[in-house]
Amino acid sequence: MRAPLLRRFGRGGVHPEPSKQATAWRPIERLPAPHEVRLPLLQHLGEPATPIVQKGDLVRRGQKIAEGGETGVPLHATISGKVKPIERVPHPVHVLAPAIVIVRHGEDAEELEFPEDPEWRSCARDEALARIREAGIVGLGGAAFPTWRKLQLPAGVSVDTLIVNGAECEPYLTADYRTMLSHPADVIEGALIVARIVGARRVLIGIEADKLAAKWWLDVAAHGGAQREMPVEVVPCEIHYPQGAERQLVTALTGRVVPARALPSAVGVLVQNVATAASVYEAVRWRRPLLDRVMTVSGPGIQVPRNLRVPIGTLLGEVVAFCGGMDPDTTRVVAGGPMMGRSLPRLDVPVIKGMNGLVLLKGRGPFEDGFGPCIQCGRCLEACPLGLEPDQVSVRVEAGRPLDTEPYGAIDCYECGSCSYACPSHRPLVQFMQVAKSALRRASELRVAP
Amino acid sequence: MNTPRTLVLEPGPHLHAATTTASIMWWVNASLAPAAAWGVFVFGPAALAVIAAAVAGAVASEWLACRALHRRPTIRDGSALCTGLLLALTLPPLTPWWMAALGAAFGVLVAKMLFGGLGMNLFNPALAGRAFMMASFPLAMTSAWAAPRVGLTARLDAVTTATPLAVLKEQGLAAAMKVVAGDPWPRLALGFRPGSIGEVSVVLIALGAAVLLARRIIGLAIPLSVLAGTALATIGSGAPGLHLLGGGLWLGAFYMATDYVTSPSTRGGQIVFGLGIGLLTGLIRLFGGYPEGICYAILIGNAMVPALNLWFRPRRVAALAGSPS
Repeated sequence: MRAPLLRRFGRGGVHPEPSKQATAWRPIERLPAPHEVRLPLLQHLGEPATPIVQKGDLVRRGQKIAEGGETGVPLHATISGKVKPIERVPHPVHVLAPAIVIVRHGEDAEELEFPEDPEWRSCARDEALARIREAGIVGLGGAAFPTWRKLQLPAGVSVDTLIVNGAECEPYLTADYRTMLSHPADVIEGALIVARIVGARRVLIGIEADKLAAKWWLDVAAHGGAQREMPVEVVPCEIHYPQGAERQLVTALTGRVVPARALPSAVGVLVQNVATAASVYEAVRWRRPLLDRVMTVSGPGIQVPRNLRVPIGTLLGEVVAFCGGMDPDTTRVVAGGPMMGRSLPRLDVPVIKGMNGLVLLKGRGPFEDGFGPCIQCGRCLEACPLGLEPDQVSVRVEAGRPLDTEPYGAIDCYECGSCSYACPSHRPLVQFMQVAKSALRRASELRVAP
Repeated sequence: MNTPRTLVLEPGPHLHAATTTASIMWWVNASLAPAAAWGVFVFGPAALAVIAAAVAGAVASEWLACRALHRRPTIRDGSALCTGLLLALTLPPLTPWWMAALGAAFGVLVAKMLFGGLGMNLFNPALAGRAFMMASFPLAMTSAWAAPRVGLTARLDAVTTATPLAVLKEQGLAAAMKVVAGDPWPRLALGFRPGSIGEVSVVLIALGAAVLLARRIIGLAIPLSVLAGTALATIGSGAPGLHLLGGGLWLGAFYMATDYVTSPSTRGGQIVFGLGIGLLTGLIRLFGGYPEGICYAILIGNAMVPALNLWFRPRRVAALAGSPS
């Protein structure tokens, strides 16, 4: 028997109030098909998709409407309807970006049928990769990196462990938790497909300790029926931000430390989000593309907090309206979790593939009222999960010397926000890190250039 | 649907820990209240006048400095009050009030605001103020002690006396213990002895410090290593107990040496810093010209902080692949 000790990463981290009670108990509800969806051609890392439909075309839900090209992923219609002119519309990340707009038209045409491939379990590696690529799947934890690219390891790199990330350490968010509860078999099957593709010999599913109910269901799905070809283990971790960050989860689950500026594959690990794993399963078994996004809508500003399955491209205004609307004294709408998400100035932007939550907050933001001097209390040093020195970076950037921050690790920062969260002087340390990072990158590009 | 008129575009993270600079300072001030109240109780109204004058001097100078420098007044963050209060607690109870105000003004104006204000100062402002007073008013600073008024049948007129450590230095241990009449150890711990206003009750200082420790405002690394360093340096002197309990060591260790701005930021640096201060305190007391040494030991320690921060940095979790770490 294992000792039931909770795993955690080595150093740093903070304890924001999890605030998950509002939605943790709510099943995933389906948002009714909206009247209009806006599907930005760029919802992922890589080149934007190229439209293959024209103004006036009638499309059905599930139909491919844009090609992915060399580095991106294709895009699919998420409602049936008529294509409007392709134009630049508000985008949650890129401000304004071209999107295919589809408006419901006349009688609802049904979703395309996706018949099951009875031989899916013995699907060859390249065929599985092609289906994942064709389904338009990207990392659904938020980064939106095309999954088919992530699963193609560079030559000489091998992976022995697949980690499925169900930590969901961002406050308020419960979308991954409810996905694990509602579709545990999808998550397990998807994980095994991914493990086969990359050649992993075991699957570890990392969750935070407040999701033990998910462990039960995942264990049943993994071991209740068929004999599995490799060990699948659900590992509970401490509730500790940023437990769900790739590097931190790898350390918590395997004890391995991912080197700076390297990917987890450098230590033989690949990390996939639970929602991504579930989509991979649908893509390989039914060739079903990624059409919906499971997201949590929560926070003090929303009338009825909910977990929703939303057609990608639905405008946030409709999502908010379905949740009873927002309180008039809501001041901030955050796409994603409140720690790493970005605030949006408007609600006429579409849900995109990487958007795992929408959090409506009241009151003034922690960095709206200016900041004080660094009092050298050391809280940011304790909070940084990488052992970087945000205090030193911030005072140098403040003094106009961003290039002097190199020894303090600005380049390695992945902006989890723990330092800013902890700073008693409300210094926007993450933003200081960003300034330093981009200055250092520019400088190194200049050095490399002839 | 009620849509708010404006949604704010602000940088993340969108949540924040409850602790702020001002809340830290006010917790420190509040946790000093029992020790300060005890000082007023045992030494009489003169002590209250010293505290009031030092606090007023510190707050007024910070306000004036902010005006002169065209800065937003920062007195509400509680740090000027903290400087004044801490300085007063290190002063003899019968110090003339204007000296206390002047010392506080020096600490705030010269040691803090001239260096750039909160966060920029090299030396602890309260102790810089005290050092200034030692240099400017040596007689008052070494003779304005009062015997504790015992119980509630207090005399209003204070009787001057010498502190245990001063007597220890001049006349030895036996005479020093006589200063603390009655059963010496409980009286030393509880604070029935002559001394600076806020230093005498080790128990109440520990109580305040316990609050700060529980709220994770201070850590144990610095104060414990200061106490350990002093114990180490004085263990051969025959009176380590009196050195630990008879002077300003606890106030210095828990409230002065732990000042964020003037102490190292990492654990390793904090331990070296604390041990160094403790050892220096012992050396000054045993071999120096002063009966008390914590003030100068901390100021010397402050001067070492930039170097300690360079030598003791957080260890990177992940070095570059292939590079030695």
